[in-house]
Amino acid sequence: MEQFIQQILNGLTLGSIYGLVALGLTLVYGILHVPNFAHGALYMVGAYVCYFAMVELGLNYWVAMAAAAAVVALLSVLCERLVFHPLRHAPPIHDKIAAIGILLFLEAVVQMHWGADFRRIPTPYTEILRLGELTLPAQRLLIIGGAFALMGALHLYLKKTMTGLTIIAMAQNREGAFLVGIDANRVAMMTFAIAGALAAIAASLFAPINLVYPAMGHLVLLKAFVIIILGGMGSIPGAIIGGLIIGFAEALGGFYISSTYKDVIAFVLLVVILSIKPTGLFTKGVR
Amino acid sequence: MLKLEGVDAKYDSFKALDGISMSVEPGELVVLLGANGAGKTTLFNTISGLMKPAAGRITIDGKDVTGRKPSALVAAGVVQCPEGRKLFPGMSVLKNLRLGGYVHRRDRAGMNRTLEQVLAMFPILDEKKDEPAGSLSGGQQQMVAVGRALMGRPKLLMLDEPSLGLAPLVVKQVFERVEQINAEGTTILLAEQNAYAALKIANRAYVIENGRLTMQGDREEMLGNEAVRKAYIGA
Repeated sequence: MEQFIQQILNGLTLGSIYGLVALGLTLVYGILHVPNFAHGALYMVGAYVCYFAMVELGLNYWVAMAAAAAVVALLSVLCERLVFHPLRHAPPIHDKIAAIGILLFLEAVVQMHWGADFRRIPTPYTEILRLGELTLPAQRLLIIGGAFALMGALHLYLKKTMTGLTIIAMAQNREGAFLVGIDANRVAMMTFAIAGALAAIAASLFAPINLVYPAMGHLVLLKAFVIIILGGMGSIPGAIIGGLIIGFAEALGGFYISSTYKDVIAFVLLVVILSIKPTGLFTKGVR
Repeated sequence: MLKLEGVDAKYDSFKALDGISMSVEPGELVVLLGANGAGKTTLFNTISGLMKPAAGRITIDGKDVTGRKPSALVAAGVVQCPEGRKLFPGMSVLKNLRLGGYVHRRDRAGMNRTLEQVLAMFPILDEKKDEPAGSLSGGQQQMVAVGRALMGRPKLLMLDEPSLGLAPLVVKQVFERVEQINAEGTTILLAEQNAYAALKIANRAYVIENGRLTMQGDREEMLGNEAVRKAYIGA
């Protein structure tokens, strides 16, 4: 039983990180209508900025995380302005190619500066709480708490504020949004900024229990894609719940089935769910 | 209030609007008659800034707004209630309406006042205000669309085929509301295929065919015009 709860906790940790990354991806999808392949690279850059600020500049963990969020938000907005905005009238394939270009570019820049070595970010929270047989590392609790707090804040922002509503309006009906006077550029920049910040915070939260290296975004991005396909493209609750499903499946599957195949489980699950419900789990009936 | 001089619009090489010159004076209700594909929606989208004109000049109260962004037009008081409604289907009716007042978002008190007026005009929307707009019937969705446009406090309201696909009784209600909105001081440009119902409440009308304005006149002239009767009224 303890083992099971332990794995549930691990699943929650993974799931909340995946959820944050997938949320950004799904928000941007709502605006661009193409998957942003560069999102995994933004995640990776977030981890490196956090590493740089904390290890090389010696800043506090939280300051480093805030710096990562700010830098990556800016980088994400720059991608929108310099790459996606000029391509807005081009066929979708151009966006996809450009996104892959950004991904390769960012990885090359990071590798040029830091090399391909694996690096570690030390966590300032090394305590381990024990509850009976359960071990609860403080960093994992921080990840879960931080991620869910952020999701809650994002939910309130999107549902309760006028500027948040404009993001959803734009995703639900682009022309309708223009006709009420919503400025497309503003919404696009805001969405990219939020997506970038979410990816950077996810990376900064997760990096202390993982490794930092230029290709670290690949698997996370692939899983984020699985999640938003599972949850329904553009669906916000879908991204959160999809993240948790993949997180749990990986943790439980890795423990009970085979840890070697834990990364395969997400994709098996994708195949199974899509063959039962091809539109994803949370696509809205009303369109 | 609204003035177009020699406006052309193109889809690639296809000329969808050809030398449109027209005007709408303050307080008027002007009808734009035309068959499917005649260019009504293109004309509306060009005025709204969704499409950039290839030639010509558009002015609002004497100010040149040619090629301005849709958000600038809404801020200038030109609000379109589009064909097909273009609501935010997953959002509640209330949020759809509030977003209609997006350009006035800093004026909360004013927005709440307008919201009350809109809900008073369409009491059914008050009942359904928490339901997703996409779940409403066609007629109710049309009311949300008109209400959303009114939330922008338009000086000129452009209605693109508000009667499309609605039951005759609902069409009658919609036209009553349009007449009421005009009587309360909002200038209206109404695109319609339902010529008789539209002309009955209009001051003037234009006829658009293949992207050109082919006829214009006041209500009596249009209702009495043989060609208009044949083509659009069917009597």
